[in-house]
Amino acid sequence: MTKVEYWVKIPFGPIHPGLEEPEKFILTLDGERIVDVDVKLGYNLRGIQWIALRRNYVQIMYLAERMCGICSFSHNHTYTRAVEEAAGIEVPERAEYIRVIVGELERIHSHLLNLGVLAHDIGYDTVLHLTWLAREKVMDTLEAVAGNRVNYSMVTIGGVRRDIDEKRRRIILDMIKYYKEVFPQIEDIFLHDPTIEARFRDTAIISKRVALEQGAVGPTGRGSGIRDDARWSERLGVYPDLGIKPVMPQDVTGERPRGDVFDRMAVRIGELWQSLELIEHALDQMPDGKIKTFPKDNVLVAKLRIMVDGEGIGRYEAPRGELIHYVRGKKGSDKPLRWKPREPTFPNLFAVAEGVKGDQVADFVVAVASIDPCLSCTDRVAVVEDGKKRILTEKDLLKASIKKTREINPEIKGDPTPVGFGCSR
Amino acid sequence: MDVMGNIVYPIAGLLGLYGFVSLASLLWEGIDRKLVARMQRRVGPPLIQPFYDFLKLMSKETIVPNTANYMFRAAPVLALATAIALLAYTPMGFTPVLASKGDVIVFIYLLALISFFKIVGAISSGSPYAKIGAAREATIMVSREPAMMLAIFAIMWRLGKLGVDKPFSMGIFYQHNIWEIGTPMSFVGAIILLYVFCVWLASEIEVGFFNIPDAEEEIAEGLLVEYSGRYLALLKLTKALKAYIAASLVVAIFFPWGIAGYFGLTGLSADVVNLLFHTLKVFILLFVVGSVFRAVTGRLKITQAVDFLWRNVFLASLVGSLLLAMEVIM
Repeated sequence: MTKVEYWVKIPFGPIHPGLEEPEKFILTLDGERIVDVDVKLGYNLRGIQWIALRRNYVQIMYLAERMCGICSFSHNHTYTRAVEEAAGIEVPERAEYIRVIVGELERIHSHLLNLGVLAHDIGYDTVLHLTWLAREKVMDTLEAVAGNRVNYSMVTIGGVRRDIDEKRRRIILDMIKYYKEVFPQIEDIFLHDPTIEARFRDTAIISKRVALEQGAVGPTGRGSGIRDDARWSERLGVYPDLGIKPVMPQDVTGERPRGDVFDRMAVRIGELWQSLELIEHALDQMPDGKIKTFPKDNVLVAKLRIMVDGEGIGRYEAPRGELIHYVRGKKGSDKPLRWKPREPTFPNLFAVAEGVKGDQVADFVVAVASIDPCLSCTDRVAVVEDGKKRILTEKDLLKASIKKTREINPEIKGDPTPVGFGCSR
Repeated sequence: MDVMGNIVYPIAGLLGLYGFVSLASLLWEGIDRKLVARMQRRVGPPLIQPFYDFLKLMSKETIVPNTANYMFRAAPVLALATAIALLAYTPMGFTPVLASKGDVIVFIYLLALISFFKIVGAISSGSPYAKIGAAREATIMVSREPAMMLAIFAIMWRLGKLGVDKPFSMGIFYQHNIWEIGTPMSFVGAIILLYVFCVWLASEIEVGFFNIPDAEEEIAEGLLVEYSGRYLALLKLTKALKAYIAASLVVAIFFPWGIAGYFGLTGLSADVVNLLFHTLKVFILLFVVGSVFRAVTGRLKITQAVDFLWRNVFLASLVGSLLLAMEVIM
């Protein structure tokens, strides 16, 4: 007897109340059970990379910042690091401390936002309003420190734009005092509430193996038991002096990580505390001194024209995970030849699409929200060839990659092997 | 045949009740939204926001998907008609308009019929989200009703033993009530059944744990996903009416006392005062079961909700009914 399968395909998106941004997932369902998930990217393409190649290094900073409203500092910071590496610019130590402070403030606001969204996705709006009310304080602090609630424009190539003086320092200390009262409440609700326990436990389990295969990063990877944090493994800036170490779910829940939504959430709660600690230490240890290498932007543009030669890579742990920016420039031009950001959501999305198989429809929104997707950062590539979109195989991608490498670096000669260097298969 | 007594008065009463309950239930929605907003430290919409919503939806264009068949259009009207018919059997501070033998059964069936029409309308729309919502509604319906039916029949049967002329009628609650049985065991049983009815009411009006068929974030309002304009307005009104009616049943069983007697009123004025007092009791019950429950819980998965309703609530209903019926059996 042949087995008859009553599978239904439903589109989940592009516009859906459970998704904050347009993105399409095609779910194959067997009743309420998810059999397969097909991720369709490309609904948010804004052509930022294309625009960027027509601007100079300083102008790109503003563009990079506007890729995402939540992790705007992270994008700017990572891009700046890539350019600094390509140009060989040393950053003053005080600037590094200020970068740490603003970065951790942003992490607090991003994690609080995500915790609220998670609660909203299970219909628990009271917790949403609790966390988002708490989030207002850090937004106000960011406004006091940087002048804006989003898109802070705090980082510049070779330093930071604004100093943290005594008045701002007091505002930040005020905020830390406020959060030391509020975080225990939030932690208690998220770790012990029965509804949250029922909905988040054993939902969308990403095993360590799947997480490694798909390259999951950030809280998603750490929730699955991968001990990695770009700030820690890269020994980034002054983070080692502040005693950074990756937050694992067992530090918060006291159990072995299972890789479910609950563990990812627990990592975020642990990181809230860690961020507070880092800010406190950074404020204590911050040395005096200048905050930027080049005082004026026009000088900076002129210097970068000479200094940038070759490539630079910036790595930073954005709230969602490891963020990489690649910049390649040539002497004599104030525009980069190539600028390529890699968003943490991209690998995480495929990891969670793998992990949600076998769960129910109701779990899907929670699962997607648990990686804190930033879909407008992710969507920057659509392959259009001969006027139509098509699916590329591994070979096509390799060919395109070789073509692009030749284009930006004509010195490379010879024929690369069909299986590229570093490919595992 | 008494034309006035049998036809004109019931119809006039029904229309009057329909007008009053529509206003009251929509007003309750506004109060509920405001109260929940205050609990969440928000300001919330104005109290008469549901009226604005209703009028706005009535004036908007209605879009019917081309995959839909005629039941898509008929379902909202039939659901509202069922809700209006249900008003004739709902105890609202006085004996229902069409009270007769066995109207409890009619009441339960009509209440289920509203959900049934909603399911039929949703399936007819042809949207996959609506189909998931319909499947969820059907699942949760067959899980919540048995506990309630068992409890209500046990109560009716036990009260019938106290000696009333029409057992299994809604009028029974105004002659005897559950607290009058008088043994300690029945008191404990009544408390347990109150819990059963509160959970039943919460799942009937789909708040908190049981906001599953309409889950906005998951399946985009599920059953209502394809409805717009007038039909959506009718379904929203039906939902508000249903909340009032379902709460009326619980109030009639557990808190049936009126206040007209204390003022020495009789006739129509007594009915009006009792109706207003009953509405107040309904609001208080809906506040506890609806607003507070909505504010302190999130949504469960459908499997967890079914599990909860069968393992916990049905069991409680069984125990409560047995305790209530114990002394008659023994």
